[in-house]
Amino acid sequence: MITPSDHSVIISPVEALDPELSKMIGNEILRSFGLRTETKPLLNDVAFALDPNRNQHHSTVILKKLADLAPAGAIRVLAVTRVDLFIPILTHVYGEAQLGGKACIVSTNRLDEGLSVGNRETFFQRIVKEAVHELGHTFNLRHCQDHSCIMHYCRSIRDVDRKTDQLCRYCRILLADELKLLSST
Amino acid sequence: MDNTKILIVDDELIMRESLAGWLERDGHLVDTAASGEEALEKIKESRFDILLVDIKMEGMSGLEVLKKVNESDSDVDVVMITAYGSISTAIEAMKNGAYDYLLKPFDPNALGVLIDKITAHQAQARENLFLKEQYKERTRFESMIGQSKPMQEVFDLIQDVAPMNSTVLITGETGSGKGLAAKAIHTNSPWCDGPFVVVNCGAIPKHLMESELFGHQKGAFTDAKETKKGRLELAHGGTLFLDEIGEISMRMQIDLLQVLEDRIFYRVGGTQPIEAYFRVIAATNRNLDEAIKARIFREDLYYRLNVISFKMPPLRDRKEDIPLLTEHFIRRFSQETNKPVDRISREAMDEMMLYEWPGNIRELENAVERAIVVGKSRSIRPEDLPIFHPEHLVCVPGNTLQEVEKAHITETLKENQWNIARSSKILGIDRTTLYNKIKRYQIKKPA
Repeated sequence: MITPSDHSVIISPVEALDPELSKMIGNEILRSFGLRTETKPLLNDVAFALDPNRNQHHSTVILKKLADLAPAGAIRVLAVTRVDLFIPILTHVYGEAQLGGKACIVSTNRLDEGLSVGNRETFFQRIVKEAVHELGHTFNLRHCQDHSCIMHYCRSIRDVDRKTDQLCRYCRILLADELKLLSST
Repeated sequence: MDNTKILIVDDELIMRESLAGWLERDGHLVDTAASGEEALEKIKESRFDILLVDIKMEGMSGLEVLKKVNESDSDVDVVMITAYGSISTAIEAMKNGAYDYLLKPFDPNALGVLIDKITAHQAQARENLFLKEQYKERTRFESMIGQSKPMQEVFDLIQDVAPMNSTVLITGETGSGKGLAAKAIHTNSPWCDGPFVVVNCGAIPKHLMESELFGHQKGAFTDAKETKKGRLELAHGGTLFLDEIGEISMRMQIDLLQVLEDRIFYRVGGTQPIEAYFRVIAATNRNLDEAIKARIFREDLYYRLNVISFKMPPLRDRKEDIPLLTEHFIRRFSQETNKPVDRISREAMDEMMLYEWPGNIRELENAVERAIVVGKSRSIRPEDLPIFHPEHLVCVPGNTLQEVEKAHITETLKENQWNIARSSKILGIDRTTLYNKIKRYQIKKPA
């Protein structure tokens, strides 16, 4: 039986996710990737990935679990969490993705940097951009040198604000190649 | 292709994996080694741009890896990774030739900035090399020489292909004369009165490639002080030769395909469409079928380029051309060096005929040039060819060409104290090829 998960990207909130934000992410994924989304919590708790020494969560460990939990046929799984993420060699990451894989995650933890309380619009825009960026990696897109492209790697939160919510023409072509491959399999 | 090749050397799996994942997402080609010993093996097998080496490892330490890498005369840049408390060792490493060090866990910004800095400095070095090569190319474009059957077939092909407008893809080993074949096609084509514009896709730094190909408008970027025509525009009415096409970045592949389809492009920062008509010839020593499978070369571009293709034969398959080529190079270099050398002894020629010439015509050219420079008589003798050693070449019936090649490589390495860069230059092959041959023939460095 074909379930809705069979042809959609699952947005998996770890904690409660603002419905407006969930909708914004979904709309952006539909616009950039042409894929519809479904919000479905697959992980309610990520304590298993907590490193007590660093008081941060190991994103790679979460991604493995997330990929295991992905419903059969779900195109990709994108987790959204409030916890601070890290990979062992780096001090922190905004998010992580399995390159060409199933799962990706974005953390909202550091994305409110420099914002006044209540500036939800910019905060949400940042989260949407980083979510689309991480999802792009699961379609084999690498960091892009074009500063305005959504796949550009942001060295600071200012760079996140500066980049647009669009893929540059190169990344659009490379994504189209990947989507063509996906539809042929 | 446009990616920097990075080797991570760390005995902790979790560190290797997390760093590799981050760097791959950043667009680099990444390999890992769990020990210093494994890293040195991998360096022998393939070329890397950057090594990220953990200082503290079981077995061979990071400092020892650095020392061995320095001894190998590789031009890889080494960055040491260290934990807090081992900074003094990292500083010692920098004194011993490491490019920099990172304190783990490191800020992703610090890593990104450092990788950018290293790639920029390596691109600069490649650009300098390219300019030197361009200078040498001026003298290399001469008429093609060869009476052998494989070369006669190439000449026939060139005659057939030249009058057409079709794109040509020339394959063949390094030094086999792909550039000469491209020039010959141009000279015999209806485009011959137009320019022959060469783009060495492997040598132009990737950040300059777009501007080199398409040109730029004044003010398009910080260094764009004047409007500059790109090579596509310069090739208008002539032939555009894309050498080492297998090295071109995915981004440029997309742009190039579009230009080949539409013949219209824009200068960087420009808004006016520019039309240019030229014939395209591309060359590569890579196996593009494999590159397509590895998804580093676009299939649509491959089919666009591969309308007509042929392979340049390696020199070992047309040894009967060696005397003619040697004579040609003797004439040229004796004139250039002003030395009265006008022939080659039978013994020296016998040795040249025995050798496999893995670096093809370019290696032969280098050997003759060297012989003329060091020689003391009008005739090139075996001893003027220091790369040949009769006692090791053992011109005894029964010796295979592989045995001769192994002996020659061993001797050259020994003479040059295993300096890989110098030995590969003398042998006329690149370092990767030399490393592969060392591995294949199991040549061991003396303790």
